[in-house]
Amino acid sequence: MRDVAIIGAGMTKFGRAPGDLMDLLAEASLRAIKHANAEKEDFDAVYVSNMMAGETSHQTAVASSLADRIALVPAAADRIENGPASGGSAIKNAFMAVASGCYDLVLVTGGEKMTTADTDIITDLVATMTHPTAEYIHGVTLPAMGAMLTRLYMERYGLTERHLAMVAVKNHANALKNPYAHIQRACTMEGAMSSGIIADPLRLYYVCPISDGAASLVLCPLEKAKKFTDKPVRIAGFGQATDVQALQEREDPIVLKSVKIAAERAFRMAGVTADDIDVAELHDAFEILEIAESEDIGFFEKGKGHLAVEKGITALDGELPINPSGGLKARGHPVGATGVAQAVELVWQLRGEAGERQVKDPKRALSCNFGGFGNNTVIHIFERGW
Amino acid sequence: MVEQKFVGFKCKACGRVMNPKHDRCLTCKGTEFEEVELPKVGKLITYTKLYALPVGIEMPPLTLGIADFGGVRVLGQLTTDDPKIGMLLKPVWGKLRKLNDKDIYGFKFEPL
Repeated sequence: MRDVAIIGAGMTKFGRAPGDLMDLLAEASLRAIKHANAEKEDFDAVYVSNMMAGETSHQTAVASSLADRIALVPAAADRIENGPASGGSAIKNAFMAVASGCYDLVLVTGGEKMTTADTDIITDLVATMTHPTAEYIHGVTLPAMGAMLTRLYMERYGLTERHLAMVAVKNHANALKNPYAHIQRACTMEGAMSSGIIADPLRLYYVCPISDGAASLVLCPLEKAKKFTDKPVRIAGFGQATDVQALQEREDPIVLKSVKIAAERAFRMAGVTADDIDVAELHDAFEILEIAESEDIGFFEKGKGHLAVEKGITALDGELPINPSGGLKARGHPVGATGVAQAVELVWQLRGEAGERQVKDPKRALSCNFGGFGNNTVIHIFERGW
Repeated sequence: MVEQKFVGFKCKACGRVMNPKHDRCLTCKGTEFEEVELPKVGKLITYTKLYALPVGIEMPPLTLGIADFGGVRVLGQLTTDDPKIGMLLKPVWGKLRKLNDKDIYGFKFEPL
């Protein structure tokens, strides 16, 4: 297997975008290609992660369309759909294609256009990821799942609403330093704790927004990366795992087993442990998830993640900054783009290009892209390749 | 109306009872199952009152919960707006929501 490098990264501003899905995908792609100094290169393949183009943009086969739009033809093109973990899956597919020796230059672009549809339509579309008969028909939504997990945490580990608010305040503060973030607004404890209830005990500020946006990466073998950049980021490992679909049927519903197994696999492949990670982007579609993932990845003991937030360990200037980008909560969550955007942020962080939200001198980073409600998780570990 | 049974699916090879139904047993990959009635009383382990509703459900809040019926956990709508962790519930058949203009029925949970 060859070592694989990310040589370029780019994204659109997340939020309510004027353009359509193809505009977003094209803009992010061209930024990444430019960042990689690969404007005149012929790409072997493009992987496009997207969850709902057919439903929200009335367009299918978007990967082929992107190849046409930005002159990648005759490159191979595939759309990758794995719910909100589509981005992580697309990076993984691109990684395997380059590592295997099949392709030498690959583009990964994730994007979603969501704000054109009404909120209840989007809520329903996202809810169709849940188990059709054991969850969906009962009216379950993803916020409802997040709320039920949160209540389990409150019962078992003494987590309080204040901890959710602390995560929101931290992520909003980080996003204020991120020009690409959807929500550019400071959030106070009082503001978060008096916002409207979405799914009790979850308030508006403990739930990610609905966003448009796209993010993109360029991958090549590490041995060829020097031609493009002095600062290639090596993909040291990935791990992906599924879990039983219905939350209630899991061995212990409070344990995100797909996260646990994906992390173990990624750490094994990279030959490192949780202690070797300097910065992480976690999938905080609901603030409880940042806490739960930080435990099941192995950063903190199970049931103690909220104490780490309390101590400031996960703050931008803490020992292990989590979600310097603002996370899904404040950078936004265009579902198909998210996994790629996490990697884009970490590439910038490792290269020292993250501006005001730059974490101090990180050497190794981890992303956790959480699909379904935790029944398909993709984790990547990135490190300096120079 | 035919009486609706609140059931699980018992693997004939290893005896594990599952709900929902799987085509292979999650424990032993067995493929033969028999329907078994679940206990008529369950205990609430978590819940939410949902105010942001998906299409097809009209009146917020929708109260949803997960209850443990003799070791098999089942998710459903609660008929009470005042749920408490640990409360005992029984399954009752009723209308859940509308999907594509069709009424969908299933079990909800009612406090004892």
